Amino acid sequence: MQGKGTFLVAGLLILAAVIYLIVSSTGSTAHYFLTVEELQTTENDVVGRNITVSGAVLGDSIIYDSSVPRVTFTVVQVPGDPEEVERAGGLAKVLHTAVNDPTAPRLEVVYDDVKPDLLQNEAQAIMRGQLGDDGRFYADEVLLKCPTRYEEDVPDQTGG
Amino acid sequence: MLSEIGSIFTGLALVVTLYAAFAAFWAIRQNDSRWEQSARNGAYAATGLLALALFALLAAFLNDQFQIRYVAQHSNRTLPLYLKISSLWAGQEGSLLLWSFLQALFAALVVARPSERARPLVPWATVFLSLITAFFTAVTLFLSSPFTQLPTAPLDGQGLNPLLRHPGMIFHPPILYLGYVGLAVPFAFALAALITRRVKDWPPAVRRWTLAAWFFLGLGILLGMRWAYDVLGWGGYWGWDPVENAGLLPWLTATALLHSAVMQEQRGGFRWWNLLLTVFSFVLVLFGTFTTRSGLIQSVHAFARSDLGLYFLAVIGLALLGPLALMMNRRSILADPRPVGGLLSRDGMFFLTLILFLTLTGSVLIGSVLPTITQALTDQSFEAGPAWFDRVTGPQFGALVLVMGVCPLLGRAADSLRRLQKRGILPLLGAVVVTVIAALAGFTKPISLIGFAVIGLAGTTTLAEYGRDAIARSRRRGENLLQALWHLFGRNRRRYGGYLVHTGVLLIALGVVGTRMYPLEAERVLSSGEPVTVGEYTLIYEELRQEPADDHLSTWASVAVYRDETHLTTLQPQIDQYMNFEQTVSVPALRATLKEDLYLVLAGWDVGGTTATFKVLVNSLASFLWLGGLILIAGGAVALWPAARAARLPAPEARRRAIGTAVGLVVGFLALIAAGVAMWGPGHGTTTPSTGRLLPGQPAPNFTLDMLDSSNLIFSELDGRVVVLNFWTTWCAPCEDELPDLQTVWDEYRDQNVAFVGIAVQEESDEVQEMISRLGVAYPQGMDPEEQIAAAYGITGVPETFIIDSRGQLAYAHVGPVSAEELREELNTLLEAK
Repeated sequence: MQGKGTFLVAGLLILAAVIYLIVSSTGSTAHYFLTVEELQTTENDVVGRNITVSGAVLGDSIIYDSSVPRVTFTVVQVPGDPEEVERAGGLAKVLHTAVNDPTAPRLEVVYDDVKPDLLQNEAQAIMRGQLGDDGRFYADEVLLKCPTRYEEDVPDQTGG
Repeated sequence: MLSEIGSIFTGLALVVTLYAAFAAFWAIRQNDSRWEQSARNGAYAATGLLALALFALLAAFLNDQFQIRYVAQHSNRTLPLYLKISSLWAGQEGSLLLWSFLQALFAALVVARPSERARPLVPWATVFLSLITAFFTAVTLFLSSPFTQLPTAPLDGQGLNPLLRHPGMIFHPPILYLGYVGLAVPFAFALAALITRRVKDWPPAVRRWTLAAWFFLGLGILLGMRWAYDVLGWGGYWGWDPVENAGLLPWLTATALLHSAVMQEQRGGFRWWNLLLTVFSFVLVLFGTFTTRSGLIQSVHAFARSDLGLYFLAVIGLALLGPLALMMNRRSILADPRPVGGLLSRDGMFFLTLILFLTLTGSVLIGSVLPTITQALTDQSFEAGPAWFDRVTGPQFGALVLVMGVCPLLGRAADSLRRLQKRGILPLLGAVVVTVIAALAGFTKPISLIGFAVIGLAGTTTLAEYGRDAIARSRRRGENLLQALWHLFGRNRRRYGGYLVHTGVLLIALGVVGTRMYPLEAERVLSSGEPVTVGEYTLIYEELRQEPADDHLSTWASVAVYRDETHLTTLQPQIDQYMNFEQTVSVPALRATLKEDLYLVLAGWDVGGTTATFKVLVNSLASFLWLGGLILIAGGAVALWPAARAARLPAPEARRRAIGTAVGLVVGFLALIAAGVAMWGPGHGTTTPSTGRLLPGQPAPNFTLDMLDSSNLIFSELDGRVVVLNFWTTWCAPCEDELPDLQTVWDEYRDQNVAFVGIAVQEESDEVQEMISRLGVAYPQGMDPEEQIAAAYGITGVPETFIIDSRGQLAYAHVGPVSAEELREELNTLLEAK
């Protein structure tokens, strides 16, 4: 079965190429997935690297300058582990507790783009970007969800 | 009341499906067809009961039964009827009920009239399909019921999220569910085939079901893409979000399955592949449902976290490991009965296709759960963004397109190379032509050119297949080419439907290369009347308008779009602010052409509306995505269409069939066009006034003006002077406000070779005279009763002011009331420049 041998080799070659693509892309384009707290404790190593960080949006902190356009807002630490969120009473409760806890770690976010439709108090923000030297997070992309009111299939994505 | 009725129907449906599973099993054990009939009746009854439960929920929506939590969360009194209907599946609980119903419906349809080939497999398939239906029904009933009541009924519901009020979003979920439930059918038959050891020809027996599931899944994904593009206002259509991926994953394996099923049907091979791909497709459906409800994946789509995760995980394990164990047990009958051809043969190409589909599926799957995997492996969590997915999947999609182009050129093993040499020249030529055209059109990035070359190669191959067959038939039968093509489609719908799907995929590939590799995005703050350049376009923001609606305030901006000083269109991007949702919805405006889309989002404005912020995107080749999508769907429909068997039927029956086919074709064609217009029609938010606005630097049109003092003013005679033209009316309050300012500035500049001319549009001279006397305006005033001059200058409202320099070219335009300071500033600049 000479045919089978070539098939096997071809298949393995493709598989190897794809694994290479996955591993190399994970090194170069994947983002560290961190919580606000982790970001602040490991601050020095991660300045300038691609990071994804999630947190609860503090409604009063949202400032939108439509002439740049630039949005700045503060997010508050929420646990990254879904099980921990569940133990604390669900995402809506966790987000609500977070924004009302003055001691929780916070992070100032700068997003040079149009203000996303769903950016509001107690929304969960998932931000991709880099931590700047000034300790602020410069987001390229902000994904939002507001679990308190919409349970349905509602994404809001802003390209970056 | 409706709540109890709904729960009771759902509960009865659960009992009946479990009974149907048992009856089908007992029919096999006892070899008794009466039990089989009973199982069939059970499947019908379950469908009916779940339909009644859906009706109960629908009635609750239509009657505003807000004591039912699901209704209170997704509807309110003012919601229009069609949205109340679509609210049925706006949330998780209702979606699951709809899913259960569709699953039961598919099971009933499968057992109702099985084909000859499927018949021996039907009893076991009934067992599994009933169990799957029972699982979803049980989840609906016990874990996620849409009929749960609130302790006290609220006076009104929360209403439907405004983002979901879009045709794409109304049809997207149920169509996607049709695809999901459809994939349970081949899964059930694969298990039945393994158990009964009839593994030889089960794929053809369920081919239409697989194809239907694939068709609906693809349509659902396309509708979702279009919804994202139309509604979300981020300018993209695919964000590699885990929930988007959840729909894509089973579509990839189902596409692979359609290919491997052809191989088993034609030459009996690929048995392992067919079983594996069937199992993977169904497991990926469950996995997608599971991940979106489990919190395993951080997703913006995610449904509220619920306890469903564990149950789904258990069922996924069962659905994956059970069949795999069974396959190992039956491996002796799964071996390929014939030796396979070499790699450079059709066998080899199909093999590569399947491998690539699998690695693609694996890549997307790994990307979706990358944070979880990397956390486990390295204790550091990585997340895959769109860049990761583009980089990993791009080359694989490219390789698939290449295989698509090469495969039809190859034959069976022996003569493959000779065939390739003979037939390969035309496709190579096609690759060169497409690449050159793309490069000439300005797409010159090397990697994208490789993409265009591969697409050109595959496109020429596909077209050549049609062409060669049509020419051959037309020679043989003496038909003209179109007739020959039509008959070819009629005779072998699967083959030519398949090629049509390939054509659609290639067009989508063009769109992907264009949009992904040539992104142009900019944010611009535009002042009223001032041109700003983005890419090849010049944009002029004209005005802002607001209008309150029932539950929201609409604000829209008018932006005139020019290229090479020619007015193309006026776009009106809009923002709707929903008060009770504390939410805004951006409605982008779109100018779509084959080469690129100009996509405009209104992002903000200052209080008076004199400046507004826009997000401007130019999406290259985006139209090809939707065009390709339509062709792909059409190809799927052609392949699904029942094959003509007229020859074997008695004449009246054949005629009836033929009429039915013709009527069906016309209806299908119209439906396709309607879907196309609804979803992919002309860009919305566009208006096209008869003429464009005059741009700075263009020569100002000459005119003769009837002055109030009965003299005539010929504009060209003012040559050599700076001219301020002010268009106004007596009924417009801002005009009245600005006239004194204009008079003041005229007084200051009248000795510096500056002329002021007021043009009253569509006015009576008495009224004009009365107003300028009252306001003390003394500079020359004329009448434009027929709006001829106004049209020549392209004004869209009053007041508008133009300043023309001493050479007769437009220097400045202002929409809306102009202030004395602004006029002074512009005039000083012009006078200094002289």
